[in-house]
Amino acid sequence: MSERGVVNDEQGEGRRGGRGFSADFLTELFRNPLDPGYADAALRRAQRGQPGRAGWSVSPVSLVIVVLLGFLFAVAYRQTMAEEPGRAQARSGLVAQIQQRQGETDELSIRADALREEVNRQREAALGGSGAARLRNLEASTGLGKVRGDGVVVRLADAPPGQQPLSGAKVGPPQVLYSDLQGVANDLWGAGAEAIAINGQRLTATSTIRNAGQAILVDFRPVTGPYEVSAIGPGAMRKRYEGSGSALTMRKVAQDTGLSFEVRDAEDLTLPAAPEPQLRYAQPAVSTSPSGADELSGSGSSPSPSGGGR
Amino acid sequence: MIAVLALLAGVLLGLWLDPTVPSALQPYLPIAVVAALDAVFGGVRAKLDRIFDDKQFVVSFISNVLVAALIVYLGDQLGVGGQLSTGVVVVLGVRIFGNVAAIRRHLFRA
Repeated sequence: MSERGVVNDEQGEGRRGGRGFSADFLTELFRNPLDPGYADAALRRAQRGQPGRAGWSVSPVSLVIVVLLGFLFAVAYRQTMAEEPGRAQARSGLVAQIQQRQGETDELSIRADALREEVNRQREAALGGSGAARLRNLEASTGLGKVRGDGVVVRLADAPPGQQPLSGAKVGPPQVLYSDLQGVANDLWGAGAEAIAINGQRLTATSTIRNAGQAILVDFRPVTGPYEVSAIGPGAMRKRYEGSGSALTMRKVAQDTGLSFEVRDAEDLTLPAAPEPQLRYAQPAVSTSPSGADELSGSGSSPSPSGGGR
Repeated sequence: MIAVLALLAGVLLGLWLDPTVPSALQPYLPIAVVAALDAVFGGVRAKLDRIFDDKQFVVSFISNVLVAALIVYLGDQLGVGGQLSTGVVVVLGVRIFGNVAAIRRHLFRA
């Protein structure tokens, strides 16, 4: 077996031992990747005294195998290429489905709006007079009805990209943060606003302004800059707002980081209704254990199915 | 030289005939290609080492492809097809790398 080391070894590393199972299989694999059969065959030939063949001549069997190899490569290539359009098709199919569903959603929401107006009309006709007026006022103040009026628009926008902060002051990044929008909305309420919308998203008592990653979500719907916070309220609202904390803070931030912040009067604003809130009803607890039933009965009146608030 | 021509002929044949692979065999195709590549580079290296042997080449090609396919089949039956395919690719990949390195040393003396 000592010849094999001579025949086979390019790196001059001694080849260990015989051919039997080596516990260090991976080391062996890395050290000597050539199939040992070649060395054995060469050894046999040397023992029989045949010279190793030089040059590039190969036997017909090997040629057949090589042809087969080329065939295999070509088939594999064709196969991979054939699968490609299938994938692209699936993707474009999904894109088309998404677009179709979005269109359906838009249509349905338009229909829902129309139906809601119809319901409002019917309700007003049914209630008549003061009842309907009271309902309208309640809807306007809770954000469930469309409102029109004069007010202010606060416009916030990120600083243009690539612009360095104007000074080294530590006032935060040159982007509008969700907390900025929260502050603006809260101070507008504080200044007497009766209705507020951010980029056309009406705020109600249960609205949320949060961030998810880079995006700002108003009521779980993403809004993108520039952000326009429109508020309808009394004439003195603007003056009061200008003196509020968020206005002062944002002016300072705008000066230092380059993001834009402006407050202007606006006439005849129309703020859309907020989406109908999901009404949640309390359900009587269904308890299987007798002790739970005792507790329930002990607590007096169980909540009525229709009486629960949101 | 003849071997290269034969390889080209095989490629052309494959493109010309354009056979459809039965879907049952499709998962084995990539593994078969890797196993075949291993046999080819082993053969080329043996050639450069002047210890090439026709029988060894043919047997190693066929057995490589069959064993690789068998392992993948077994893995599929056992529910670890992906992992076993990875294992096959790693082992054959190591061999391919080693043999290509040896070929490179032969050809460029570096």
